Amino acid sequence: MNNTNLLQVSDLHVEVEDRTILNGLNLDVAPGELHAIMGPNGSGKSTLAQVLAGRDKFEVTSGSIQFKGSDLLSLEPEERAREGLFLGFQYPVEIPGVNNAYLLKAALNAKRAVNGEQEVDAFEFMKLIKDKMELMQISTDFLNRSVNEGFSGGEKKRNEILQMLMLEPQLAVLDETDSGLDVDALKVVATGINTLRSPERATILITHYQRLLELVVPDYVHVLYDGRVVKSGNKELANTLDERGYDWVKIETENK
Amino acid sequence: MSTINLQEVFDASLDQSDISAASRSLRNEAMVSFHETGFPSRKHESWRYTDLKPIVSGGFDPSPQPINSQQEKKATQEIEKSILDSKALRLVFINGKLSTNNTFPNEFNGLSISKKTESYKSIDVLQGKELFKDYPLAALNTAFSQHETLIMLDEGIQITKPLHLIHINSGTEPTAIQPKIAIDIGTESELTIVQHYIGSNPEPSWTNSVTLINQNKGSLLKLYRFQEYHHEQFHTELLKSRLSNNAELKLGYVDLGGKLVRNDVHIDLAEPGAACSIDGVFLAMNGQHIDNHTLIEHSAPSTTSQESFRGIIGEHGRGVFKGKVVVHRDAQGADAQQSSDNLLLSEHGEIDAKPELEIYTDDVKCSHGTTVGELDLEQLFYLCSRGVNKTTAKGLLTFAFANTILQRIEVPEVRKRAASSIAGELPDYQNWGGLL
Repeated sequence: MNNTNLLQVSDLHVEVEDRTILNGLNLDVAPGELHAIMGPNGSGKSTLAQVLAGRDKFEVTSGSIQFKGSDLLSLEPEERAREGLFLGFQYPVEIPGVNNAYLLKAALNAKRAVNGEQEVDAFEFMKLIKDKMELMQISTDFLNRSVNEGFSGGEKKRNEILQMLMLEPQLAVLDETDSGLDVDALKVVATGINTLRSPERATILITHYQRLLELVVPDYVHVLYDGRVVKSGNKELANTLDERGYDWVKIETENK
Repeated sequence: MSTINLQEVFDASLDQSDISAASRSLRNEAMVSFHETGFPSRKHESWRYTDLKPIVSGGFDPSPQPINSQQEKKATQEIEKSILDSKALRLVFINGKLSTNNTFPNEFNGLSISKKTESYKSIDVLQGKELFKDYPLAALNTAFSQHETLIMLDEGIQITKPLHLIHINSGTEPTAIQPKIAIDIGTESELTIVQHYIGSNPEPSWTNSVTLINQNKGSLLKLYRFQEYHHEQFHTELLKSRLSNNAELKLGYVDLGGKLVRNDVHIDLAEPGAACSIDGVFLAMNGQHIDNHTLIEHSAPSTTSQESFRGIIGEHGRGVFKGKVVVHRDAQGADAQQSSDNLLLSEHGEIDAKPELEIYTDDVKCSHGTTVGELDLEQLFYLCSRGVNKTTAKGLLTFAFANTILQRIEVPEVRKRAASSIAGELPDYQNWGGLL
């Protein structure tokens, strides 16, 4: 395998309830890169995101995923997160009765425990989160609100990015973080994503629309169709898809 | 204790000269009724899941000796430890008797507290033959209650500061305590009451409580009943309430302690626009048995009720919930929502939850739902995907299940104490309690 890759997905086959969703998917992501994954509905984009994060309702029937040179599939979801993988949910889950502050502290402490660091105290926590909340335009009373409960679509997505900023993952997989956002919220989310870009980190953006990719410029764009990457290119590919849709890619694929 | 013994004890307790004729007659009526019914047994539909045998055979003395000064001192010390709000208006009941150890002035902004000795119409219509027949334990309470306390709030008065009623049992013998409270809220008045049952006494005793409430037009009563006994205590209780035009009752029930607990709530939305809500949380851990039976009657048009109970049942715990809603013929436009959700932490726990709707009119909006389950897997995955340990995530979600209801309690001291007590009882608390 290529040791410079942060993530290496090889010939991945995934089923859910005896239905094949991913069908020989390959994807390599190196540090510093930003990959956009596009594709028509039902092509397997969200399944890929959930499998990477360790959702157990999906069954990997063959293929492999290496993350930082180790077998990702043998890890529990919480272990993957502590290794530096983050999933931004397409539909962030509402958890009535669990405050945002509980969740963020628990998440930070879990990561710190792995690094042999002390648990975060209240003062340090506030110091860490203050700027990030400002950046994501989230008010401080939000910390005492239940996770995602009663949040608007835009607030939920900004909350996902806030969590990402707190956890500073090495690989962020953002599943349609741009859907349902107005122009202003899109800018805020884009700023959040760009803030974390660095030569050590990588991002996978799953999106339907090219508009986020104007604010967060990808190094690579892939088209997922029928559970496989059928076309890859640079950001120009996103523009072409925006103009022409996916039909030409489907035809091209089926004629191969 | 058999009913024959009870009769002897009862006769002796009536042998005192300072009992008014009204009270004597009511207590006699209650005793006659109890003599006819006896203790409810599991043959009664509403007692199918709760067996009073440990209470019936427990030898609890229903007419205990007054406590001595040493016991009073001990009780006072314990109250100091469990007090929720040291600045609150407070009434302390030691073994059911209003103690001198109170911070309550005789008269406070139209609120008056007295010993009820004479008949009082708006309260006494709530009790009598029918009540005693339906609730034999309330008859027993009335027969033996020597200290009925009347809380009256005049018309047009809003008291925002909560009134705390602290009940403590402090005996060295197995005693049966019969607290009896009557509450009358004047037209357009507003009051918040915290009924706090405490007692870390490992000596089992039985508290058999009755609360009678009359709410006049447009009044608002918030009553939070918070029970945190030692796990060896027995508790049975009836709260009965009648609401007039546009009156509103908000009830909160939190049961954390006790070995065997049975709460009955009977609310009559008697006049148009009356509304009530009941939010309940209970924890039935190791060997605890917690039973909530509620009956809400919509007797008039445009009355509304909302009820949510949540139970957490642990190893060998047992929960019972029965919520009955009756929409009577005249109650057009009634709105009744009810839910009962239960979380089983162990396969050795048991919950029997049953909603019951009786509707005798058209044009009503009613819903009820009962769930018994485990933690939500989507929520669990979401927390774990942030690196949170599974045990921590499970602890947080279990706590959250109860906390959702606790958040509706409008007295912060009660809400916070209940939240931290519940958290402390849940599995793996040491892994996640620090986050709260």
